[in-house]
Amino acid sequence: MPQVMVVARNFMDMVAALPAAKLDMLYDSAFICEAVLRSLPPLAKKYALQMLYVSAPVAAAAMEEWVLDEYAAKHRVAIDRLLQLRVFVEVRDRRKEVSYKMNQKFQGNMQKYLVDGGSLPREPIPSSVTARLPTLAELESFALEQWECFLLQLINSSQVERGTSFSSSMMRTFQRGLLSSRDGEAPRLTENGFQFLLMETNAQLWYIMREYISSAEERGVDPTELISFLLELSFHTLGEAYSLNTLTDVQRNAIRDLAELGLVKLQQGRKDSWFIPTKLATNLSASLSDSSSNKEGFVVVETNFRMYAYSTSRLHCEILRLFSRVEYQLPNLIVGSITKESLYGAFENGITAEQIISFLQQNAHPRVADKIPAVPENVTDQIRLWETDRNRVDMILSHLYEDFPSKDMFDQCCDYARDHGCLLWEDAKKMRLIVRVEFHSEMREFLRRLR
Amino acid sequence: MVNAIKGLFISCDVPMAQFIVNLNASMPASDKFILHMLDPTHMFVQPHVADMIRSKISEFRDQNSYEKPS
Repeated sequence: MPQVMVVARNFMDMVAALPAAKLDMLYDSAFICEAVLRSLPPLAKKYALQMLYVSAPVAAAAMEEWVLDEYAAKHRVAIDRLLQLRVFVEVRDRRKEVSYKMNQKFQGNMQKYLVDGGSLPREPIPSSVTARLPTLAELESFALEQWECFLLQLINSSQVERGTSFSSSMMRTFQRGLLSSRDGEAPRLTENGFQFLLMETNAQLWYIMREYISSAEERGVDPTELISFLLELSFHTLGEAYSLNTLTDVQRNAIRDLAELGLVKLQQGRKDSWFIPTKLATNLSASLSDSSSNKEGFVVVETNFRMYAYSTSRLHCEILRLFSRVEYQLPNLIVGSITKESLYGAFENGITAEQIISFLQQNAHPRVADKIPAVPENVTDQIRLWETDRNRVDMILSHLYEDFPSKDMFDQCCDYARDHGCLLWEDAKKMRLIVRVEFHSEMREFLRRLR
Repeated sequence: MVNAIKGLFISCDVPMAQFIVNLNASMPASDKFILHMLDPTHMFVQPHVADMIRSKISEFRDQNSYEKPS
C-alpha cells in the first residue's frame, strides 16, 4: 500500500502556514483579505463579519455563548482557523482571561472594501487598443491545451510532439516530487506522480501552485509577493485583457510561467502586450470543495468490465492506460477493459483502488452520470477486492515469550503489554505471549523488575 | 526463566494459513520456518522468511490468472 498520499491542500493552508510578519504584510491588500474571508468555514465567516466593526476585544467566554452547546466543536474549529490565519488576535488581560480582537489591518481593509467595493490595481484595456480578444470558448480550449501539454510531458517526456516552450528549470520545479530521474535514465513517475494524474484538475492546480510557491525562495522570489499576486489574479475578470505594463518585474516573470501552464494567455498588440486570465486563474481562490468542474465526463464503464471513453485527448488515453488495458483507439473513442493484470500494474505503481474508482466516478459520461451508481457496483467491488487480495497475509515482527515460572507473572506481563497496545497474542493454557518487537526492551525491563 | 524468541507474527485467512503450512511441509527439515501454530488463522514463524512467503503467494496468485494475448 502506498505510504504517502498526495494531499491537495487548499491554498489557504499554505497562507496560514506563513510566519506572522509575512501574513500581516499580505493583509495590506484588500483582495487578500477578501479571499481569506471567502475561504473561511461558514461559522468563522459569521464571526469575522460580526467582529468587523467591533474595536474592543471580546472575551472568549462570551463568544462561546454565541453557539448552542452541541456545536461547541464547530465553534472551536472556527476560532482556531481564525487564529491560525491571524484574523483574530488573542489578547490576555491582567486576570489572565482570554479575549479576541480582530487584526487591525484586516479590519481596516475589510471595512474599506465593504464601502468602496475594492478596485484592482489595473483596469482592463479598452477594446480599441486590443485587436481581437479571444472568445471565452477559445480561452477555455487554450487553457485546456496548455494544461494537457504539461500533464503529457509528465507522462512521457520523449513523446510530446510540440516543441515545448517550458523552460527546463520551471519544469523541474513543477515536477519535483512527481518525477524521479536517475542519471542516464529517462525520468520516471513516482508514486505521487501517479496519484497526481488521477486527481481532479483543481486539485492538480493547487498542488502545482504550492510547489511553485515553495520553490520561489530558491529562485530568489519572495513567496509572499507571489501569493498576493496569485490571489489578486483570481479577482480579475475572465476574458478581459490587462496590460503587462502594470506588473512589477517579479509579477512579469510569474505571468510568463503561468502562461505556460494555461492560467493566462499572453498576447501582443502593436505597442502593448497584455495578458488575459483564463478559467483556471479565476478559480484560484475558490476552495476545493466548492469547485464544481463543469468539464464533461467521458468514461462509460459496463458491468462486463469494458470501458468506453469518448475522448480524443492523448492525455486521457495515457491516464486510462495506467490502470486498464486499452484495446482499440478509434477517432473519437477509446475502448479498453479493466483486467486483473492491468489493475495489478497500477497497484504496483502505488495507485490505490479508491483513486481509480473516484477517477471513474468523477469522469463518468453524462449519459451514465445520473444513474446511481455511476460506475457499476460489481466493478467497484471487484477493484477493491483485487486490491485487498494483494495483502491477504499480515506479518508483524514480534517476540514470543514462554516458560513463565508462574501464572501470576504471566498475567502481569499480559496486562502490561495490553496497556501499551503492544500485545499481539496470549495463550493462557500454554502461558505464551507475543508482543511487538518495539516493545521488547521495555518488556525485558519489566520482567527484570518483577523477579 | 522467561524465554524470548524473535520472529514474525502472521495473521491471515484460513486458506492462506493452509498454504503457508503446506509451504513449510515442502521445505527440507533444516529450512522449516513455522515455530508455532497458534490457531487456524495465526502463526509464529522465523523472521527471515517474510519475503519468501510473499513471493510464493504472488507466484500462487499468478498461476491462477490468464492474460488475453494482445
